[in-house]
Amino acid sequence: MDFIRQYYFDFGIMGDEFGRIMEGFWFTVQLSVLSGITSLAWGLVLAVLRQLPGKATAPVRWLTIGYIDVFRGIPLLLVLLLVSGGLSTLSSPIGGEVIPTWLGKPTWLGQTTPFWYGVFSLTITYGAYMAEVYRAGIEAVPGGQMEAARSLGMSHGQAMRFVIVPQAVRKVIPPLLNDFIALMKDTSLVSVLGAADVVFVGRAIQSEQFNGSGLMLGAFLFVLVTIPLARLVDYLIAREQQKTQRGGAPAEAAELDQQALGGGGGVTT
Amino acid sequence: MSGPAANGAYLRLDNVHKRFGKLHVLRGVNMEVARGEVVCVIGPSGSGKSTLLRCINLLEPPEEGDIVLEGKNLCATDPRAEEDEEGIDFVRRRVGIVFQQFNLFPHKTALENVTLGPEKVLGRKSSECKEKAQALLGRVGLGEKMNEYPDRLSGGQQQRVAIARALAMDPHVILFDEVTSALDPELVKEVLDVMRELASEGMTMVVVTHEMGFAREVAHQVVFMDGGVVVEHGKPADVLENPKEERTKRFLGLVLEH
Repeated sequence: MDFIRQYYFDFGIMGDEFGRIMEGFWFTVQLSVLSGITSLAWGLVLAVLRQLPGKATAPVRWLTIGYIDVFRGIPLLLVLLLVSGGLSTLSSPIGGEVIPTWLGKPTWLGQTTPFWYGVFSLTITYGAYMAEVYRAGIEAVPGGQMEAARSLGMSHGQAMRFVIVPQAVRKVIPPLLNDFIALMKDTSLVSVLGAADVVFVGRAIQSEQFNGSGLMLGAFLFVLVTIPLARLVDYLIAREQQKTQRGGAPAEAAELDQQALGGGGGVTT
Repeated sequence: MSGPAANGAYLRLDNVHKRFGKLHVLRGVNMEVARGEVVCVIGPSGSGKSTLLRCINLLEPPEEGDIVLEGKNLCATDPRAEEDEEGIDFVRRRVGIVFQQFNLFPHKTALENVTLGPEKVLGRKSSECKEKAQALLGRVGLGEKMNEYPDRLSGGQQQRVAIARALAMDPHVILFDEVTSALDPELVKEVLDVMRELASEGMTMVVVTHEMGFAREVAHQVVFMDGGVVVEHGKPADVLENPKEERTKRFLGLVLEH
């Protein structure tokens, strides 16, 4: 038992390395938040492309469906390796410098190149997951909404933008948050590219001191963020269920109907 | 705005057919609506009344036949081809529809439901739209409820918002698709009152309804549909009191019994 305490819970090491680990975690948080935002946006684009109407746009729909299927089926680690390998090679003399260095080895906003490979890989992968979540939300909006919007003269695009998507997004906030939790955990994979995230720092400490306490502190930091997020998801789902149990509020409407009758005493339906 | 068609009809349906897969819902519907006329379409459920309305504004484009509105044939080009939205644009700018299930936008207030169309489709200034929407909501008796969301409104109130929403687009014709069928009985009157007022102001209306009293009192023309065709049409007194066709008699017998 002593071994477990020493190997995983050496508070001395945790204290000494606290700054370094927090720096790694800050990297993880930045990567998670930026990739989360870009995935949300890219996923929405994919979902809308997938729902385009008409025969002429059929190829766009097929391509989108193909993209979503492929990227939901490939391990993120593989995507990371393909993206980093491809981009760095294509922008180097070996690859013939097909793409410029600023794009192949980006260091935008003072972030490291592995950070941007991570953003790119997480976005193309999680965009595909989130597209499916949005699709479920779009399909859950009653058909009468699209009809009402179109009958007012809106184009399909306007109806999506002003009527369908705003309603769909509200419905899918909890599942999207779930995807965000998964994304945050998956950022740890960028450590294989040498990105200085919390896992990378923890492993460095592990190999320097033959002790897992740095990794343990990293795990604790993850849980510190993900558990409140998970509770938030539960709360949002419960609130939504409460709403739908009122069935879009017919109970309230019935009350109002009675008020509308003027007094409404004794009216039962 | 072009004038009524040469034959005097403002809206004319000519041999309109609509199928859903193997189900042949409309089997050659002919109908004429004059400007300012109120036409009530009655008939048993499944007779194609609602489909007919949805064909008129091309929510369900017909497969065969012509729909002529203000002299323009909406079916001249294939309205099912999404690339060609000319007929669709033409009809949606002129014809409003009110649905049985209201279909209000639940994420918008009553006022925003009414302003959305004019703002986004007609490109009008938002202050102008708001003023007009306020006036329209006042007109349907909901001046106090403008900032409420639909789920805080009763069915009758929601349906009146839906009518205001349709009116905000300055339609030449309004289609009413069994607009009181989803309402509790005590809320039907407030909606019919609004429709009566519209009719008295000369709005051209095509009303699919089960409210025989409303049809008798307000309609200029009653159309009886069964089995996807117009069986009989004419003045309410003729169709409702002295139907010529056996099928009309049978239907009215069933409806008027209670």
